[in-house]
Amino acid sequence: MARNSHEKRAERQWLLILLPSLVLLLAFVIYPAIYSIYLSFTNEALTGAAALRPRFVGFRNYARLFNDAKFWNALFVTFVFVIGSAVIGQFVLGLISAMALRRPIRFRRLFSSIILLPNAAPEVVAGFMWISMLAGGNNATLSRIVGFFGVTPADWLQVFPLSMIIVVNTWRGIATAMILLTAGLSTIPAEIYEAARMDGATPSQTFRRITLPLMMPTILLYMLISAVSTIAVFGLVYALTRGGPGGATEVISIYIYNQSFTAFQLGYGAAVAVVALVISLILGIAYVRAMKVEV
Amino acid sequence: MKKTVLGGLCAILLSAVSTLAQAETIRIANHGQAGIDAMKSTVERIEKKYGVTVEVVEYPAPDKDYLTKLLTELGAGNAPDLFSIPTTAAVADMVEAGYLAPVTTEFKAWDGYANLYDVAKALAVSPDGETYVMPFMLGIQEIYYRKDVLEKAGISTEQPKTWRELLDRAAEIKQKTGAYGLLFPAGVSWGSGAFDEGFQHLLVGSKTPQLADADGKLDLNGEGIKDVFGVYKELIDKDLMPTQPLLGPEPWVVPKYQMFPAGKLAATTCGSWCYIFDWGRESKNPIPEVTKVVGTWTVPGQNSGQYVLANLAAPWAVNAKSANTELAIKALMEIGSIETQVSYAARIGNIPASKDAAKNADFQKLAELVPIHAAAENGVFLKQASGFGTVAEGVARATEALLRKETDAAGAQKILVDYVKETLGDDKVK
Repeated sequence: MARNSHEKRAERQWLLILLPSLVLLLAFVIYPAIYSIYLSFTNEALTGAAALRPRFVGFRNYARLFNDAKFWNALFVTFVFVIGSAVIGQFVLGLISAMALRRPIRFRRLFSSIILLPNAAPEVVAGFMWISMLAGGNNATLSRIVGFFGVTPADWLQVFPLSMIIVVNTWRGIATAMILLTAGLSTIPAEIYEAARMDGATPSQTFRRITLPLMMPTILLYMLISAVSTIAVFGLVYALTRGGPGGATEVISIYIYNQSFTAFQLGYGAAVAVVALVISLILGIAYVRAMKVEV
Repeated sequence: MKKTVLGGLCAILLSAVSTLAQAETIRIANHGQAGIDAMKSTVERIEKKYGVTVEVVEYPAPDKDYLTKLLTELGAGNAPDLFSIPTTAAVADMVEAGYLAPVTTEFKAWDGYANLYDVAKALAVSPDGETYVMPFMLGIQEIYYRKDVLEKAGISTEQPKTWRELLDRAAEIKQKTGAYGLLFPAGVSWGSGAFDEGFQHLLVGSKTPQLADADGKLDLNGEGIKDVFGVYKELIDKDLMPTQPLLGPEPWVVPKYQMFPAGKLAATTCGSWCYIFDWGRESKNPIPEVTKVVGTWTVPGQNSGQYVLANLAAPWAVNAKSANTELAIKALMEIGSIETQVSYAARIGNIPASKDAAKNADFQKLAELVPIHAAAENGVFLKQASGFGTVAEGVARATEALLRKETDAAGAQKILVDYVKETLGDDKVK
C-alpha cells in the first residue's frame, strides 16, 4: 500500500516535470495545427472583406486546389528538389566525404571543418551569399570563374534556377549527411573489412557487399530525415529566387507562403499546407513500411 | 496580511502607471532610412506638441515585404498606431478589412486641406466616400529617357503621341544604339510595381481606361487590358525591353540602377523620385547632370492624348484598433504639414501634395522637382476599388508569363481574370 502511494507520488512528480513541455507543445504545435485545419475550411484573408467577415466555405479550398496548376507545379518542383538535393546530392557527396574522412589522410581535420562550415550559416544568409555567386550575369562570381575557361557567362539563377537551388541546398546539407553517415560507418567492425581484404575483395566489392548493406539502416533513416527537412526548406529558396522565375523554383513551402502572405489568402494557403502535410505523412509511412524499417 | 494588501496595491499602481505610459506612446511604422530621416523633425514636433513619446519602428524596405508584414500585424491586431501604406492599390482592400480608422471629419477640418491639389483630395477618397489616408505626397510618374543617348544617335527626343510612336521609337533606339528602348516594370518579383509603375500608365490611355465600374465591380475583360498586354508582348518579342533581370529576386536593380545610368537602357517609366533617389544625389550610381541628360515624356494614349499618372506616394493612415485613435489622428495631420512634405521631397523625391509647397524656400531649392510639382494638377489616376491589390498581383503574374514568352496578350488577360476570380470569387469580376 505504501509502495503504491510512493508510485503515485512519483507519477505526479513526472507529470509536473512534463507539464511545461506539454503546455508548449499544445500552444505551439497542436493548437496551430488544429487552427490551420480550421482555417482551410474558411475563406479567411489578410485583407479585403474576408479579413473582416471570414466565411465557412466547406471543401471549396480543397476543390480549387486540385484544379490549381500552380499547386501541382509546386508539388513537382518539390519532388525534383528533394530527389536532386537530398537523395542524390547530399547523400552521395555526404557518403563520399564520410568514407574519405575515415581514412588517415593529411589535413583531415581541416577538410572536416570546411565541410561543416556551410551548416554554420543560417539558411537566409547562405541564400544571400550564393546570390553574389550566381546572380548578376557577367558580374556573378561563377560567371567570372567559368568565363576564365571560355564558358559563356550567364545569370545562373535565371538560366538554371532549379538546378542552382539544388546545388546550394546540397552544399548546405553535406555536413549533416556526412556526420550521420560517419556515425553509421563507425558501427561496421574493422575486422570485417580486414577479412574482406585478406579474401582479395576489391574496394568496389567491399563497398557493395559490406559497406552498403551494413549501412542500410543508417542510410534509410538519413534519407527520411533529409527528405522531410528538404520539403520544409524555405529561407534558402526565398532568398535565392522567391520561387521564380515563373514558378520554376516554387517549392511547396514557398507556394504556401505566396498564397498566404503575398496573395493574402490564408484559408487557401492553409488548405495547401494541410494537403502538403498529408502527402508528406503518406509518403513517410509508405517509405518506412516499404523498407521495413522500424523507426 | 498587511504585506499581501500592500503588494496588491503596488501591483495595481504599477499596472496603472504602465497603462498610462502606454497611452502616452504612439508607434509609427516607417521603412527605409530615407523615410525615417524625412520624418525626424515631424516626430519631434508631435512629441513636443502633444507631450507623447513616438516610437518609430523600421519595417522591411521592399514594398512587397513591408505590406506583408503590415497586413499580418493588422490581422493579428498588433500593428502600429500610424503607418504608411506602400501601394495605393492596397488602400481600398484595407478599408474593406476594417483596418483603417476614418479621418474624413478631421481631414476636412485640417488647415492644410484647402491647399491640397484636387487630384490628391480625389485620390484620398475611398470607394465608400470616406477618407482614411493622409494624401501628403504624390508620386508623379512619366517616361524618363536618356536625352544624351538619343541625341548622340540622331533619334528624335520629341514627345511620342501614340503607343505606336512610342513602340517605333523604342525600336529605333534598339536599332541605332543597341540599347534597350523602353522598360515597363513587370513580373512577380517587382510586386505591386508591375501594376503601379507599369500597367496602369498604359491602361489610363487605352480604350477602356478604368478597371472599376460604378457598382464597384472589377471589369477585367475590357479591350484596353488586352491592348496593354499587347504593348508588353511587342516590347518583349522584339527584344526592346530587358526581360532576364526582371525575373530575378530584385528586378529593379539591374535595369534601373545599372543599365539606365550606363545608357544600356534608354527609356523607362519612373516617378519624380528618380531624379533624386534613383539617379540623382541620393543614388549609389548617380548620372552626372541628371536633369540635363535625362528628359521626360508623358505616357501617350493608345491613339491620342498624354497621360501623367498621379499616385498617392505611400499615404499614411491610422490603425482602426489603435489604443489611442484620437491622438494618432492628430499625429496624422502633423504628417501633412508643409515641413514634412518638403522633407520627404528632398530625401525621396516625391511631390508635395500641397500647392503651398511651391512657396517654401527649401522646396524651391529642389530645382528638379519644382516643374513636376506645378504639373501635378493634371495628374490622372485609376478609380480605386476593393480587389485592386489582387488585380495588381494578377497583373504581375500575367506580365511574368509574357516575360517568359509563355503566352500572348489574350492569354495574359485570361491569367489576370482567372487569378482574380479564383482569389476573390466569380461575383467580384464583371
